Amino acid sequence: MTALDRRQFMKRSMAVVGAGGVGALAGALGEAELRSGASAAGPEDPSQAALQAELLRRVPFDGPHQAGVLSRPQAQATFVALDSIAPNRQLLAETLQTLSARARGLTQGEAVGAQELDDPPPDSGILGPLDMPDGLTVTIALGASLFDDRYGLGTRRPARLQPMPNFPNDELDPQRTHGDVLLQVCAEHRDTVVHTVRELMRTVAGRLTPRWSIDGFQSARRGPSASSNPRNLFAFRDGTANPDTGDARLMNSLIWVQRGPGEPAWTAGGTYQVVRTIRMHVEFWDRVGMFEQQNMIGRDRVTGAPLGGADEFEDPRYELDPKGKRIPLNAHIRLANPRTPPTADQRIVRRGYNYDRGMDPAGDLDQGLVFVAFNQDVKRQFATIQQRLAEEPMVDYISPVGGGYFFAPPGSRGPADWVGSRLFA
Amino acid sequence: MTAVIERVARSRLARRAAMLAFPAAVLLLVGAALSPGGATHRSSGHAGVLTLASRAVAPNPLGVRVSKVYGSSIPASVYGTQIADLEDQGVNTRGEMVSDLSPLPARAFVKPVASYKVYAERWTTVAQRDANRLAQALARGSRTGAQSAWRATWSAYLHLGAVYGLFGTLNEAIDGVPGGLPRGSGDPRFTGLHRIEMGLWTGARARSLEPFAVRLTRDLAHLRRVLPSVQISPLEYATRAHEILEDAQRDLLSGVSVPWSGEGVLGTAAGLAATQEVFHTLEPLLQGRDNTEAVVRSELLLLSAAIERIRRDHRGWPTLAQLTMRERELIDGTLAGALGALELLPGTLETEAPSPIPKLPGRAAAGTP
Repeated sequence: MTALDRRQFMKRSMAVVGAGGVGALAGALGEAELRSGASAAGPEDPSQAALQAELLRRVPFDGPHQAGVLSRPQAQATFVALDSIAPNRQLLAETLQTLSARARGLTQGEAVGAQELDDPPPDSGILGPLDMPDGLTVTIALGASLFDDRYGLGTRRPARLQPMPNFPNDELDPQRTHGDVLLQVCAEHRDTVVHTVRELMRTVAGRLTPRWSIDGFQSARRGPSASSNPRNLFAFRDGTANPDTGDARLMNSLIWVQRGPGEPAWTAGGTYQVVRTIRMHVEFWDRVGMFEQQNMIGRDRVTGAPLGGADEFEDPRYELDPKGKRIPLNAHIRLANPRTPPTADQRIVRRGYNYDRGMDPAGDLDQGLVFVAFNQDVKRQFATIQQRLAEEPMVDYISPVGGGYFFAPPGSRGPADWVGSRLFA
Repeated sequence: MTAVIERVARSRLARRAAMLAFPAAVLLLVGAALSPGGATHRSSGHAGVLTLASRAVAPNPLGVRVSKVYGSSIPASVYGTQIADLEDQGVNTRGEMVSDLSPLPARAFVKPVASYKVYAERWTTVAQRDANRLAQALARGSRTGAQSAWRATWSAYLHLGAVYGLFGTLNEAIDGVPGGLPRGSGDPRFTGLHRIEMGLWTGARARSLEPFAVRLTRDLAHLRRVLPSVQISPLEYATRAHEILEDAQRDLLSGVSVPWSGEGVLGTAAGLAATQEVFHTLEPLLQGRDNTEAVVRSELLLLSAAIERIRRDHRGWPTLAQLTMRERELIDGTLAGALGALELLPGTLETEAPSPIPKLPGRAAAGTP
């Protein structure tokens, strides 16, 4: 066997038996094993104890729905869009299977396996001998282009999956837009995300190739209360009006695709994921008066309350302000969610991240929002909202430059299953 | 409230800087006068004595005395004191956010806007002439001739600066970029200057672009006809004074709007010219209102000097890619400085104090979830 063959073999065999089955090489660990491996720091150091508790937090990979959709966003994220170069449908399916297996192992915590000394280690090892879960989720979604004629998947395309259109005022860069597969990798610490992306890229090498990626972070939750939403890079609180993700019935009507006519059966339990890389022209924004900033958003910048109110979660009561004397009629929050019965089924779950890509060649801060939204029907929900927002005053201060529409299939049903299996069944 | 306080802090800082600069200037003048050889290093030894001696008798080094604050009935001699009290609070006695300056009457903008329109009409005529030249060069099949005429036309159009945003779809037809169009640069609605730019710099046959230039001359003629009747509100006019260069930073120096020709420096220079014109028309209104006029003038001078120097060193307008690292830093940095000063204009020139936000009625008692 050549080195390359052996590496390929290693990957394939891990895929076939699943991460747990590789035994001595590497494997998902039980809670006790993780805990004993992690307890290097004594309980006498409270900050270390808190860190250990955070690193131990484990989000199930398997379930009716994928993880990383309804949960409160972890602190760090990377989004990677990949294009498939798999030569045929069978190899594409195997790659997605391998991807799920490796993602499951990483999200559930693994011991980094020992190997023969002359072989490259199967894990880069940058997290040490244990890959602690750290709240890691890996959400796998598929782009419209995967359903073209390459793999004969056209007839199985999710009914509402189209390439993201060019909305008015968009400046989409093709090299930062669309993709066959999207990986959303979220965890509480940057090194966990970096490690996961690195391991997953190894896993899919030669089959899925990177198209674009972007790193995101959450602003720290600085209160004043535990439920206060963190701020985006325009300094306004973001996510305030999200529907209650703990309400299963509501999520079935707004987020999860339901069994029934109009959608292929395999999509039930999945959701449409919208990603928009939105550059924020922060220097320009910072040169705008507070009054104008608040009127563009419709909220108080400090408290996040709707204008005229005092509390972030207060109802803006648009019916009492039909002329927009308190909250302008073209304020962002008013256009995005008019809070009327006819627009109730347009609501989406937003799960965005700030991004900071340093400076651009003109010396300006390249910062913005990785807008992420999940919804049951892109056309009925996200696209309708986006059309309402087309002429909001904030458009001068933002440039959507990338992203795409994707479909996140239902969750993997167990260690033997994988995300996307029903598409190929 | 924070914004008012920040802005006040900023203008107070500027004022403080001016106050510090004043004795220093006096010191220099007096020092130069008193030291026989005029050698500054000698006068510095006596700094303390000279400062004390000179203060009482120093003439106003600026040679002007502001007696009236435009738009205010409060005499300039006490205006600063009264306003300083307000600035210290940031809010009025009812606890509402208030402006630190008394608003200008809207009629104060009639003359500046009218004179700006004359300027804009002149540049529209120039743009029309250059667009004709562009159409002729394309008809001849001359790529270099057409590129040169394109630069002239586009630059002339950008000289309109303060009014371009008022034409809506007409501006899209003349200067639109393919960004938001459903089919991008292949969209049939992508027709104006940037459509011609794309063709000229990506090897399209010059003659194939002629129809776009013909359409452009028609659109510019249309613009010339509607220009006299265009309405510009005071707020729009004051806001444009900083937004022309905001666009230059966002769209031109970034290269976003000129991906094919890379003529971001040329465009920024045109934007600066338009900004200077707007600022010039507004100068009478700025008299005595904060320190805005002096700050803006000095930052625009620095930007203009940087751009002129770059033009001189390149014997013409370099493309963005031709800028050296030092030049890139110079133009980016001075533009950022200019924008940091121009941001003061809309606030300084407001025609109405922002009214307090109505309270949201029927709120549950505090502490109720």
